[in-house]
Amino acid sequence: MELIERYLQAVGFWLPKTQKRDILAELSEDIRSQVEDKESELGRKLTEADLEEVLKQRGSPIMVANRYLPQQSLIGPVLYPIYLLVLKMAWLFCFVPWLAVWICLNIFVPSYRGNAAGNLIVGTLHGFWMALVYIFASVTFAFAVVEKYALKSGFLEKWNPRKLPPLRDANRIKRTNSIAEVVALLAVCAFWLTFMSSPVMVNQPDLKIILAPSWRIYFWSILALMLVTCAFSMVNLFRPYWTRLRATVRLFTDGMGWGLFAWLCKTNLIAEITLPNVAPEKTMHAANAINWWMSLSFPFIIAGGVLVVLLDMYRIVRIKDTATPSAGGLAALVGICG
Amino acid sequence: MRHTVCIAYYMKNSSNHSSNPASTDVFENLRLELRRGCLIIAVLGQLKTERYGYTLRKAMEDAGLPIDEGTLYPLLRRLETQGLLVSEWREEDKRNKRFYRLSAEGKRIFKQLIEEWENINASLEQILTEE
Repeated sequence: MELIERYLQAVGFWLPKTQKRDILAELSEDIRSQVEDKESELGRKLTEADLEEVLKQRGSPIMVANRYLPQQSLIGPVLYPIYLLVLKMAWLFCFVPWLAVWICLNIFVPSYRGNAAGNLIVGTLHGFWMALVYIFASVTFAFAVVEKYALKSGFLEKWNPRKLPPLRDANRIKRTNSIAEVVALLAVCAFWLTFMSSPVMVNQPDLKIILAPSWRIYFWSILALMLVTCAFSMVNLFRPYWTRLRATVRLFTDGMGWGLFAWLCKTNLIAEITLPNVAPEKTMHAANAINWWMSLSFPFIIAGGVLVVLLDMYRIVRIKDTATPSAGGLAALVGICG
Repeated sequence: MRHTVCIAYYMKNSSNHSSNPASTDVFENLRLELRRGCLIIAVLGQLKTERYGYTLRKAMEDAGLPIDEGTLYPLLRRLETQGLLVSEWREEDKRNKRFYRLSAEGKRIFKQLIEEWENINASLEQILTEE
C-alpha cells in the first residue's frame, strides 16, 4: 500500500492547495475500492506487481492531476490563428530586408567579404537570431495581454458585415492609387523643374553647395522617368487592370529609378561646399564625408531596389497564372458548353 | 432505447475504419466528442439515486458506458461547481466516501437535457433513415 501513498503524493504535487485534500481523499477511496474488488476477484491479496498494474492503468500522476485543473492557455484558440499570422508577417518583415541587406553588403562592401566565412555567418546569424527572439517574445507578450484582458470585452464580436473587405481581384489597379500617383508625380515634377535643375543646389551668401556634373544626367533621367510613370499612371486610371505589358513597363521604370538612385550614391555627388569664414580644406573634408556616407547607403538602396523588382516580377507571374485557365475552370467550361 | 441511436450507428460503422491509422484517429476523436455530451446525461441520470464515485463507475460500466476515473471525478466536480450535484462525505464500511446526488437545480436541468436529447435523437433518426 506504500505504492498507493507514493502515487497519491505525486498526484498531489500538481494539485491546487485548496482542493488537494479533497481530491486526494476521493482518489484514494477509488483506488482502494478498485483494489478490494480485484482482491475478491482473484481470491488473494494484490502483489506489488498487481498494484503497479492498477496504478499504471490510471495514468501518470501529472496526467491524472491535469484532469482536475482548469484548462489554461497563454493564447487561446480564438486568438491563435491571428497570433500565427502576425508572427509570420513579423518574421517576414524581419527576414526579407535582413537577407537583402546581407547579400548586398557581401556583394558590394569589400570589408565584409574580407571576413572569414565562419565568423561572418556566426556574427550575422547571431544578430538575426536575437531579432527573431525579440519579435517572438514581444508578439507573444502582446497577444497574451490581449487574451487575458481584452478578449473578455467581446471586441471580436463587434463587427459589421458591411465593413468586410471587398472581394480581392489581383489584377485590378485601384483608381485611388492611380489618382494619387498622378497628382504626386505632377507635384514632384514641378518641384524638380523649379528647384533641382541647376547643379548649384544652394546659392546663399552664407552657404553654397555645388553638385558634381553627374547631377545633370541624373536630373534629366529622373525627369524622363517621372513623366513616363505619370503617363503610365494615367493609362492605369482609365484602364484599371494589370496586363503583362504594363506590369513589365512598371518593372522597367521601378528598376531604372532604383538603379539611378544607387548610381547617384556612388558618384561623389557633392562637388563643392563654400562657407564664409571656413577654410576650403575643411569644407572639402565635409563634402567628402557626405559623399562617403552616401556611398555607404548603396547596399541598402540596392536591397530596396531588388525587393521592389522582385515584387514587380511576382506581379507579372501572377498575371500569367491567372490568365491560364485552371483544370477546374476548363472542366466548368466544358460542362457549360456540353 | 432511442438514446443509443448515435453510438450504435458509429459502432456499426467503426469496422470500416480499422485498417487506416489516420482514419482510426479521426474516428476515435469523433467518438470521444460524441461520448462527451452523452456521458454528462448518463452521469446525471445515474445520480437520481445517491452514489459514491466507485459505485457510479461500476453502474456506468454495467450500463454499457464505461468511464475512467480520470474523466469521472473531474466531471463530478465540475457538475457540483455548476450546482447540478450535491455531495457529502459519509462513513460506509468503515471508510469515508463521498456521496453524490442530483440537486434540485440538477433535476430541472436534467429534464431539459433529456428533452433536448430526444429532439436530437428524433432528428438523427429521421436523417439516418433517409440515407
